[in-house]
Formats: sequence, C-alpha cells, structure tokens
Amino acid sequence: MYTLFSGLHEYLTRREEFYVIILGLDNAGKTTLLERIKSLFLGIVGLSPDRIAPTVGLNIGKIDINRTRLNFWDLGGERELHGIWEKYYSECHAVIFVVDSTDKGRIEECKEVFEKLITNSEVEGVPVLMLANKQDLPNSLKVEEIKELFNKIALKLGARDSRVLPVSALEGTGVREAIDWLFVRIQRNKQNRLPIFK
Amino acid sequence: MGKYQAIFSAILSRMLGRLWGEKEVRILILGLDGAGKTTILYRLQIGEVVTTIPTIGFNVETVTYKNIKFQGQTSIRPYWRCYYANTDAVIYVVDSVDRDRMGTSKEELHAMLDEEELRDAALLVFANKQDMGGAMTAAQVSDALGLGTLKNRQWSIYKTSAVKGDGLTEGLDW
Repeated sequence: MYTLFSGLHEYLTRREEFYVIILGLDNAGKTTLLERIKSLFLGIVGLSPDRIAPTVGLNIGKIDINRTRLNFWDLGGERELHGIWEKYYSECHAVIFVVDSTDKGRIEECKEVFEKLITNSEVEGVPVLMLANKQDLPNSLKVEEIKELFNKIALKLGARDSRVLPVSALEGTGVREAIDWLFVRIQRNKQNRLPIFK
Repeated sequence: MGKYQAIFSAILSRMLGRLWGEKEVRILILGLDGAGKTTILYRLQIGEVVTTIPTIGFNVETVTYKNIKFQGQTSIRPYWRCYYANTDAVIYVVDSVDRDRMGTSKEELHAMLDEEELRDAALLVFANKQDMGGAMTAAQVSDALGLGTLKNRQWSIYKTSAVKGDGLTEGLDW
C-alpha cells in the first residue's frame, strides 16, 4: 500500500527535465545568450557582456517553465574543442546553433560546422534552432539572407523541427520568443527523446 | 577534526573578509603529485617561481586578485576530503606531459567530484607544464580526463605553464 501511494506521490510531483546544447563558432555569442536567458527567466543579473571571456569548457544554466526544467549546456566554440560537443549529443533534447550575423567572412566555416552537426546520427530528429545573433549591429545579415545561405544544408535536417530566428543576445531582443519556440518543440518531440524525471 | 578546523577557519576568514569588504572565495588546488600545484600557488601569490619540494601536508595561502581573495591550498591526496566543505571552486592541476598517469588523474578527479560537498563547486583544470615539449593540448587533456562526461557542472580548461606564468590569470578571470 505504501509503495502504491509513494509511487503515486512521485508520479504527481515529479518534474520533467530537458537538456539543450548551445553550439556555434567561437565569438558567436553563445555565453552572452546563456547569460541573457538566465537574466530573462530567472530575474537575476547575469554576467555583464564585457566580462565574458571565451569559453574553454562548459557553462551551465537552469530555468523553469511551467514546472518543467530546461538545462542549458553552453560549450566552447573554438575548433579544437568541437570534439567535446559530441559527448553531449546523445543526451540533449534540443540544439541551439548561434551564428554571428555580422561575420560574413566565416559563413563558409559556419556552414561546414553546422552540416557536420546536423548529420551526426546522435542528434537525429532533435529540434534545431538557429539563431541569427547580433541583430543589434547595422551590418548584420537578416534572417532571410541567413536562410538562403544555409538552404542547401537545411535539406539534410530531415524530419525534425527547425527554424531560424533573429536575436540580439546583447540587448535581449527575440530571446524569449526563441526559448518559447524551443520549449514547444521539445515537448512535441517528447516521445522521441524522453524527458528525465527528477 | 581536520574538517571542523577547516569549517572554523572558513567562517573566521569569511567574517574577516566581511570586515575588510573583500569578497572571498575558497578555492582548492588539487592534482597528482608533481603536477605543479605548489608552483602555481606561489606564482599566483608572489609572482615568482619558487623552488618547491614535494608538499607533505598542505600549504594555505591567500591571494588577492582583482579584489577577490582566493584561498588556495595544496594538500596530499588522502587528506583532500578534509577541505571540501565551503569550497567554491576546485583548480585541478594536471601534468600535461605525464601521459602514463592521465588515467590515475582522471580517476582521482571523478572520485573527488562525486563528493556531496563539492556538488556545486566549479571546476577549473590547468593543463600545466605547457612549456615542455610533447605536452598534450587542452582538448587532448580534457578528453583524457573525461571532462565531456560532466553534465551538471561548470568546467573550464586552460593551458598553463606555472614556471613561465602563462595562462594562470586567464584561468582566474574565468
């Protein structure tokens, strides 16, 4: 009888947790984005952007939306660290890929890295959200232009949810919308990637 | 006993820190013997390379860096756990040249991180001895240490040379 009730109690009070990895080239603004997400959803003051140094490892963040927890893994973007990314693929429920919309010189590199990411079998079917970051700067590529550049690769996305959205991690514009989009897609993909219960 | 002493000293230093208006964080410097922990500690404190002998017991030093006081201590392995309480961050020093003992280093690291008292501590790895030929890169070291398996902890790795002083302040800024 006790087990029945404790089981029921556990069932009623358990919380779903999901993991989201934030990837992209170095200097795309991944850590600034993470700090922005934290300040928007937790109401705390994040690390100020000028104090953010290149990440050589992992930063983590946790937010709660409707009793569901989203955990973020922000991984370093330098090339020699890309090997570490793969260690996190099998356990993630969604991918955020951050693009520096002002860095036209590195778009090719960006495409190559993105293609390698989405064709990895460990993230098959996982929702992918591409963020065209740094929209606060005047010379940034617009979402339409980014989409066009990535069109060919987008064919390889397969049957998963994906989208490109404009953001400015620095100013915070578009960040809430981006997370809301992602949250819905993660829920939808729940049968495919089961949540972790805590 | 050691544990209570550590807690007591942490409380005392926190009170003093409050009086002086400095933010104090407690950092443990750990790693296998010969990794260069003591050299790093003194490099940070007095900015000089001191000739060190293998540490038996531990060294406690307070380092002020950008108004943040670090308490670093290096200790011998069986006693590591005495100092876990109230630790904000762990600096784990690895000898990047010593490939043979990477496995041991990895085991020690993960055993330490499993400790309940270190659940919320951030991890900073110094891939030390980068001034020597044949040193492993930061990516190789993180792979060898299995840092990719850490899913709920903030971690970072820096290439350092305690003898030359490279990379140390970058790590502390983090």
